[in-house]
Amino acid sequence: MTAIQVDGLTKSYGDFAAVKGISFDVAPGEIFALLGRNGAGKTTTMEVLAGFQAPDEGTVRVLGLDPARDRSRVRARIGIMLQEAGFFPDLTVAQTVDAWRDFVAAPRPRDETLELTGLAAKATTKVRQLSGGEKRRLDLALAVLSRPDALFLDEPTAGMDPEARRNTWEVIQRLAGQGTTILLTTHYLEEAQRLASSMAIMDQGLIVAGGGMAETLAAETGRVAFELPSSVPPEELPVPVTTMEGRLAVYRLADPDLTARTLLNWASERGLRLRGLEVRTATLEDLFLDLASGEKHEKKATV
Amino acid sequence: MSARDLAVVARFDSRLFWRDKTALTTSVGLFVLLGIGLPLMMDRVGPEGPKFLLDIHLGVLVTFLTVATFSQIATTLTARRDQLLLKRMRTTGLSDRDILGGEVGNLVIQATLLTGVVSVALYALTGLTMPRDPLLYLVFVVAGSAVLCLLGAAFTAVIPRTEVATVMTMPFFFLAGIGAGGFGPMLEMLPGWAGTVLDLLPTAAVVEAAQVAYAADGTFLGDLGAAAVPALKLVVWAAIGLLAVRRWFRWETRRS
Repeated sequence: MTAIQVDGLTKSYGDFAAVKGISFDVAPGEIFALLGRNGAGKTTTMEVLAGFQAPDEGTVRVLGLDPARDRSRVRARIGIMLQEAGFFPDLTVAQTVDAWRDFVAAPRPRDETLELTGLAAKATTKVRQLSGGEKRRLDLALAVLSRPDALFLDEPTAGMDPEARRNTWEVIQRLAGQGTTILLTTHYLEEAQRLASSMAIMDQGLIVAGGGMAETLAAETGRVAFELPSSVPPEELPVPVTTMEGRLAVYRLADPDLTARTLLNWASERGLRLRGLEVRTATLEDLFLDLASGEKHEKKATV
Repeated sequence: MSARDLAVVARFDSRLFWRDKTALTTSVGLFVLLGIGLPLMMDRVGPEGPKFLLDIHLGVLVTFLTVATFSQIATTLTARRDQLLLKRMRTTGLSDRDILGGEVGNLVIQATLLTGVVSVALYALTGLTMPRDPLLYLVFVVAGSAVLCLLGAAFTAVIPRTEVATVMTMPFFFLAGIGAGGFGPMLEMLPGWAGTVLDLLPTAAVVEAAQVAYAADGTFLGDLGAAAVPALKLVVWAAIGLLAVRRWFRWETRRS
């Protein structure tokens, strides 16, 4: 059984086609990342899944239900963290959580929720005095209040400092470990790579890449880079370099570890040091940049 | 929709209302001050008889009832819509009807209590006497407030942003006031058709029924008959309000 099912979803606003026929599935307890630039269609997809918008075409199921038609039944079982939504500024954190506890069935205790989201010390602070990152945590607190089976997080860590971000990641991972299905959008590729086991990259309303995180990245090129000693011309390298960025020799290839070993052996035979050596497998960022440059080529080709 | 959820939202909205200084000044402060003050002043300056006093009382009352219900709900809902607070409330298990109904309930209860305060103060301070049929009076204050709230909620659809919400509701406050005599006998200066049109307002229906409730003699059945026309007016306005809310109410700001 799939927890979230999107099949051929299309959604337009007037003449603007925000989402153009996308499909993906999310398994129960899975963390799924929806990535893409601003305006790619991520938030629209999320709004349809959360039942704020009805799809123009295609079908969408959340926990087996149609979020547009069975909205109240779906809402009772999901938590939603909107990208931007207001709070009542004069209420304290505790008062806000208490009010929201009245709005959901079988809520978590207030203190447990504040503890979970790292807001216990801010309980008596008025919402208007919270920082941007703290407001995001309060947002998360309200989203998890009903112990939802599925959680929709739109840019959950935007504006958080690194420590708060790491804590939020832990919360998200813990919830997923307890069986909560999580769909998140993010600008932070590191966040997606660390948290999500599956993902889809959207661009202009379409999914341009997607699948299991590990498999997708394994199929991409890794990177080896180091400072080429000034005495060595690039042509003498044992493996042909992909690009020279100033004195930085950069390789983009499928097996960065093997290439690095070849280069290190070659360097040690000559008594050279490979300063600033960096070896890594593909990251989401590489994939993203590849997609962006691929698009540039396409555009050039059509001119 | 459940009675529990409605009550939860109404209680929450009531807590927010009593923290809101602007709302307290206009919807409570002016209501009580002028609702009692104006008829009291008229009574002291030159007593012109119970009929005149009652007209002034009811005229001022429905004028400020419009502020406390129609204007108040339009301003509150527009602000919540623009700050995406309505959207946030919709992420919970609450239904749309609970969210709007709770706020309507909160304001109806408050408007009814304020009407009680104003009326009782006038019974004590002036020659105004208790209505012969207090239940009829109560029913129409409650129903009239609810209809005005519904219309105020529907009206938010044409309010582009929070800052202009109060200003945009002001014409209705004036219309209600002129029609019901809240600013004195201004209708006499206007052409006849104006009076006929203003008589169709929900506030006019409340005044009409209240006059029946205050009339010195009458029977229960007679009151029912006399209240039928104002009741019908309110039913029509309620239907218009409900349809408009269903058709045009916006839960969030327009996408730019």
